[in-house]
Amino acid sequence: MDNPESSSSTRLNQDPPTSWCHPAHRVHRFLALILMCFLCFGSYFCYDTPGALADNFKGDSHLNTSQFALLYSIYSWPNVILCFIGGYLIDRYFGVRLGTIIYMTIVFIGAVVFAFGVYINQFWLMILGRFIFGIGGESLQVAVNNYVVLWFNGKELNMVFGLQLSFSRFGSTVNFWVMEPIYKWVATYYSGYEKLGVTLFIASLTCLGSLICGLILGWMDHRAEKMLNRQEAQAKDEPFRLIDIFNFKPVYWLVCVICVAYYLAIFPFIALGKMFFERKFDFMPQDANTVNSMVYLLSAALSPFFGILIDKTGRNVTWVILSIVTTIGSHFLLAFTFINPYVGVMSLGISYSLLASGLWPLIAMIVPENQLGTAYGISQAVQNMGLATVLILAGIIVDKYGYLMLEMFFLGCLFISLIAGVVIYIVDSANNGILNLSPSVREAYLNKSANRAEETANLLDHVDSSDQEEVDSRLTNQQSSQLSNQNAGIESSGDFPRDPAQAHSDRIRSRYISQLLPSTIPDRS
Amino acid sequence: MKFPSPIWMHVKSFLILILLSVVCGQDRKITSKLNPGCNTCSAETTLVYVRCDGSADSIHQIWDFTRHLPTVIFTIASLNSTLNVTWDGKTPKSFALSEKPHYSFATAIDKLYEYNDLDDNGFIVPKYPQHEYSLSKVIWHLNESRFADKEVMVYLNGFIDDERIRGIINIKLDLIPFKDYATDLPHLIHTANSTLFDISLTNLTTRSHYNASRFALHLLMISTDHVTDTMHFTMRKSLDDEHTPGVFEIIEIKTPSLYSTGEGGYLQFRPVGYTQPERGVASSTVAHVSDFNRTTLPYRSTLRLFYGGSDIADLLVQDMFVSFGENGDGFYKQHNYTAWSFTIGYGTPPVEKFSLFVIMIISIGLGVPLALALSGIVYVVLRRYRQRSITRFTNED
Repeated sequence: MDNPESSSSTRLNQDPPTSWCHPAHRVHRFLALILMCFLCFGSYFCYDTPGALADNFKGDSHLNTSQFALLYSIYSWPNVILCFIGGYLIDRYFGVRLGTIIYMTIVFIGAVVFAFGVYINQFWLMILGRFIFGIGGESLQVAVNNYVVLWFNGKELNMVFGLQLSFSRFGSTVNFWVMEPIYKWVATYYSGYEKLGVTLFIASLTCLGSLICGLILGWMDHRAEKMLNRQEAQAKDEPFRLIDIFNFKPVYWLVCVICVAYYLAIFPFIALGKMFFERKFDFMPQDANTVNSMVYLLSAALSPFFGILIDKTGRNVTWVILSIVTTIGSHFLLAFTFINPYVGVMSLGISYSLLASGLWPLIAMIVPENQLGTAYGISQAVQNMGLATVLILAGIIVDKYGYLMLEMFFLGCLFISLIAGVVIYIVDSANNGILNLSPSVREAYLNKSANRAEETANLLDHVDSSDQEEVDSRLTNQQSSQLSNQNAGIESSGDFPRDPAQAHSDRIRSRYISQLLPSTIPDRS
Repeated sequence: MKFPSPIWMHVKSFLILILLSVVCGQDRKITSKLNPGCNTCSAETTLVYVRCDGSADSIHQIWDFTRHLPTVIFTIASLNSTLNVTWDGKTPKSFALSEKPHYSFATAIDKLYEYNDLDDNGFIVPKYPQHEYSLSKVIWHLNESRFADKEVMVYLNGFIDDERIRGIINIKLDLIPFKDYATDLPHLIHTANSTLFDISLTNLTTRSHYNASRFALHLLMISTDHVTDTMHFTMRKSLDDEHTPGVFEIIEIKTPSLYSTGEGGYLQFRPVGYTQPERGVASSTVAHVSDFNRTTLPYRSTLRLFYGGSDIADLLVQDMFVSFGENGDGFYKQHNYTAWSFTIGYGTPPVEKFSLFVIMIISIGLGVPLALALSGIVYVVLRRYRQRSITRFTNED
């Protein structure tokens, strides 16, 4: 893929478009934005259909909780590897248009196979469907990120990323809202597991809708490429080098621990949440789904604001620890009280968004820029691996030991991430608190170091060598601006550096943008 | 030696507290006998007498199937009391307690109801077509039994072979002399003062013109309380579903005496039944309890034999239905199986506690980060302080 910004600058050099049909016209690009928003809607919608129909899977398909959790677990298995190569395949072989359509088709096929498996009540076919669905799901997000980079630039870029991700997350929320009524409607015509299957067929139509959006967008992009003489060069360099992992600092691995342990207390909880709310709090199925949808809804709504908050205040580590503590509080409320679960779930949603905004930019501060791709890839891979294994475990816990024990397990995971957070804080404080600076101090610090520029390394590198009071920094001008760019979130500046390193970093950015942007929330992976 | 009086008071109350907790959490010594005093009884006769001696009183339990209705009778009397059973062939003729009992209560299942669940919600209501089957014709066969110091258990198969219904009713009664959780789901709490009653309805035939057949149990509850009083239904929620995954409710039916004085009889169960012999979350279903109605002791029953002599004004007899199922589950015929458990006991119903595991996770989980944070803060402060003092010294130089 070409450096996206340079291609967009070509676009800007064209004569101002007069018709809205022209690809560079504001309306035309807005249309493309809407299509991009709907691209991931289907996959997010279908990801959580089991969760929204959890009690029906028990009643109609007679799945126990372990089998049910396996439906979620199997989604994560292919993504342990695909989060490395999904984006690479697009860059190298498919191109963004074909890649999007391929991934979207895989997602659609997966959803249909899953629905068919439920329709004929064959568990292995359900599992196969979810596996196929998982192959497409995560990579699709990368493809869409590439589209966004192609069509938007500068100040628009981060906003569009944010919007697109929030809208995708909204797909999950809508799923929790509408599946129960659809199921009830289908139940008037079908019975037993067939009604559940038909409901899922209907749900898979959202993927068909997304596929159609993908086709239209592909045609629009093809047209734009011709009209704007845009060129897509192929990426030459590898997206990741596993050898890099030997160079990562302990702090990076601690962040990874949080990436895994913290998210284990969120996604499995949502997957298994419906029955918990029904059984412990006597909620009706629809109400249980509404409570469950709150986490996604809040994170979609709040993430931009938390992005700005962390942007203005800095001190990422403190925010991360704070949000882990409030998450522990939320799970305590859910486990040990009968207080209305809205309280617990909403504080869970708020803490979760805050953590996401604080945690993912940390990686960019710890890892040298040329290793960022590997770093984000690995943190995603271990996260998927954690989810894949723990979801199975969570199902067994519910079947054998009940929901209190499940909550205890979540609390255990959160305690581990709290310990990791505290250790990061201590290690960082011992090194003058680089990761936990306020933005003004960080700015001053970066400027100061930039003046003494030398190529290489990142913040922590000089931290490590900073036993003396005066630290010698080796941050380059460009790196520091990149860093502040990353931290600036939706307010990122619109200058276009042109050197190869920057081009590479942009590519990484588009692949892992959901993690890099404080204004957006990381994917469910 | 004389203690100053206030301290002595405290010590005394402390000792009483210890003593009380020992008494309340007491284990009982159990002795049991099958068909006591019967010489002509065979495997088709099952009357179990269990005597549970505590530190202050004895509980005499009778588990009877001889007159076909499964019956459990608890009688509480002093430690010296004895209970004698006389027989008339293979059926008991009289029960003679050596003294007037402190308290007595009992439960029995006298009928099985089949109903056509038109609204498909599991409840039994009068408007549904329904048919009652008396259990008085069930042939009970003792399949398995254990009469030991550590456990008394009987497992019976009841064959029901009416012109309208055929099938098997299995009942297990189990008593252990200490507090523990039952081995099978829903893992109800056993105590030395309570007996587990587990019933399953296997392969019952359903009426051809009912297409939504479900079965309900008709339970009798008897206690030596005033006839105008009533049993009390309480449902409480527990935070802990560790032993019955996914079920947070506990239902207790308390006799008036227990309700008012804290000592009396109770039935305790979770509102959950199972539709397959392999009990688990996937095979669980909802058990519904109806309101109580006043009724009389069934004719020619062991209950009438046992309580017949007592003053009618001091005998409370009520009944209730327990029905099973939930919307869309395919009714009884889906699995041809329904199982349910309850415990019947004396004293205050046991309350489940957080297991050691839960307490451990909480304390380790909260303790370690806290300790870590504190030591971290101390370390950082010390380091800063030392650095600052070094800088100061350097400046002073």
